[in-house]
Amino acid sequence: MKVASNVDQLLTQMLSGEVWPPLADRHGYRVDPNGDAFFLPGMGGVTLDVHCGDPATGYRSDHLEPGLSVRHREQGPNYALQYLTCIGNRVEVSSGPQRGASGFVIGQHAYVLVDMAGDEMRGVTTGDQVTVTAVGQGLTLSDHPDIVVKNCSPALLNAMAGGTTSEGQLEVHVSAIIPPEAIGAGAGMASEYANTDLMGAYAGLDDDLSLGLESLRIGDLVAMEDQDHRFGRGYREGWTSIGVISTGSCLLFGHGPGPSTIMSGPTSSFKIVEDESANLSFFNLVQHRELS
Amino acid sequence: MTNAKLVGVNLLAFVDQGEVGNDPYRIDRDGNPYVAVGDGGVVLGLRLGDSVFGHVGDHAAPGACVIHPSDDARHAVVGLSCIGNRVIVRTGDAAGMEGVVFGKRGGGERVIVVFTQDVLQRLRPSDQVAITSRGQGADAPVAGITQMNITPEALALLPVRADGDQLHVGVRVTLSSRAVGNGIGRPMAMWDVDLQIDGTSDGTSDLRLGDLVAISDLDARANAGFRKEWLSVGVVTHGASPQPGHGPGVTIVLSGPAKHFSVRSEGATHQGLREEALLSRAK
Repeated sequence: MKVASNVDQLLTQMLSGEVWPPLADRHGYRVDPNGDAFFLPGMGGVTLDVHCGDPATGYRSDHLEPGLSVRHREQGPNYALQYLTCIGNRVEVSSGPQRGASGFVIGQHAYVLVDMAGDEMRGVTTGDQVTVTAVGQGLTLSDHPDIVVKNCSPALLNAMAGGTTSEGQLEVHVSAIIPPEAIGAGAGMASEYANTDLMGAYAGLDDDLSLGLESLRIGDLVAMEDQDHRFGRGYREGWTSIGVISTGSCLLFGHGPGPSTIMSGPTSSFKIVEDESANLSFFNLVQHRELS
Repeated sequence: MTNAKLVGVNLLAFVDQGEVGNDPYRIDRDGNPYVAVGDGGVVLGLRLGDSVFGHVGDHAAPGACVIHPSDDARHAVVGLSCIGNRVIVRTGDAAGMEGVVFGKRGGGERVIVVFTQDVLQRLRPSDQVAITSRGQGADAPVAGITQMNITPEALALLPVRADGDQLHVGVRVTLSSRAVGNGIGRPMAMWDVDLQIDGTSDGTSDLRLGDLVAISDLDARANAGFRKEWLSVGVVTHGASPQPGHGPGVTIVLSGPAKHFSVRSEGATHQGLREEALLSRAK
């Protein structure tokens, strides 16, 4: 993205976390939109076979978290990890048989979510330690004071298409535009934590549940209409928030594939361009090192 | 299951103090810090029929919030309590005095109990109260609609009337599901849904505690979520919030396909739950 920013002023912190196990309770089941019970994989652990660029939905899965689901064992350090980690940050496995393998952050979902090459991911499991090279919080765009940037690494900003237009707007390329009716669980939560579940993407279920969002891909950049996520996630007419789809299939009602937010501002401050290549899979983030 | 009898369960709960973090500030939707007032605990001076925008507060509920210190027991207290359930204070200066359940808040966190102001002045955090819970599982007056979180006796205090396969409901205002913020995607026996409104949108400036509101395209039978041509109706049980994604809270009481409802937006003539009627009909 061709845009002036304060990237040179940002600091980098090394943060540690560990792959957290999937969790269940002894009753097991949750309830889908039609009131039917389900018990499905997707959240926590290392979820294989779904990477950036793959469809977000169409799996027998609930709260699908592609790749590694990472948190810190202690509350305070965990909030540091969840709040300071940004999309595109480099992650290195620091214990276990895959020690030294690297990937990148695709978003937050009460865990930090990490994509890496499938053959390397197969050797990672619960309890393996990872190191996140965290940089990005505090990023500002000098020529766009109305736009608040969060959870966006310099690497992601650099890789995105668009930039400052001759009219002074910020051109952002997105794969999809999200109507406000789609905003589900995650509304009202802090913008630096978890993500916004999108409803209307229950592939294969009733038509009356659809908002036409069944073709989203993991890693898609999306524009959320009438959303102001500068200081927490909320509905606000005339505002737009940009996110990256970091989670996939959900059967739990009111939930769905979700964007982690990277930018918010008045709709008039953006020039939104629909572009199928607006997906992390095209951004070559895997090998990127934040520190030269 | 039709006409199956409801079972009452006596619950113990404790008057809440409310909590503030070690940082006193929360951040409003414009990024400004504020100190939250009235978010839980015993709140004086806020009554049913008051505007949800009329006081400086954050999620302020009329009366007292009650909780249970054990997570599982608290979820049961919140999930089983229904609007209209009788509450009796068991300890402290207000022992023996009565209130009535008015709503519920957050993720299985708090039950909102209405007391008269003179009882509230004698009530203290950690006083014990007994709730006679009853109402979950009650059939709605019309087949195809799901009823929850309210006793049939309390529902009868509201402008809700069955006529054949139609349920006629008078509400202050009907809102789009896009207004629903925190609480979406959560189980409605445990949570309220916050309305992301500030009083400037059509018909919302006069929203009052105790009002009925209808929300279009919302299926709230279990978890609340978007579904075309469905409708959910709830009681406004707490006041506005400066936080983004939050706002006046609605405890859902009815949900079903919109074709089963005949909703009348009554605007200024609407009368929802009022303290005297609710207290006199508590069971």
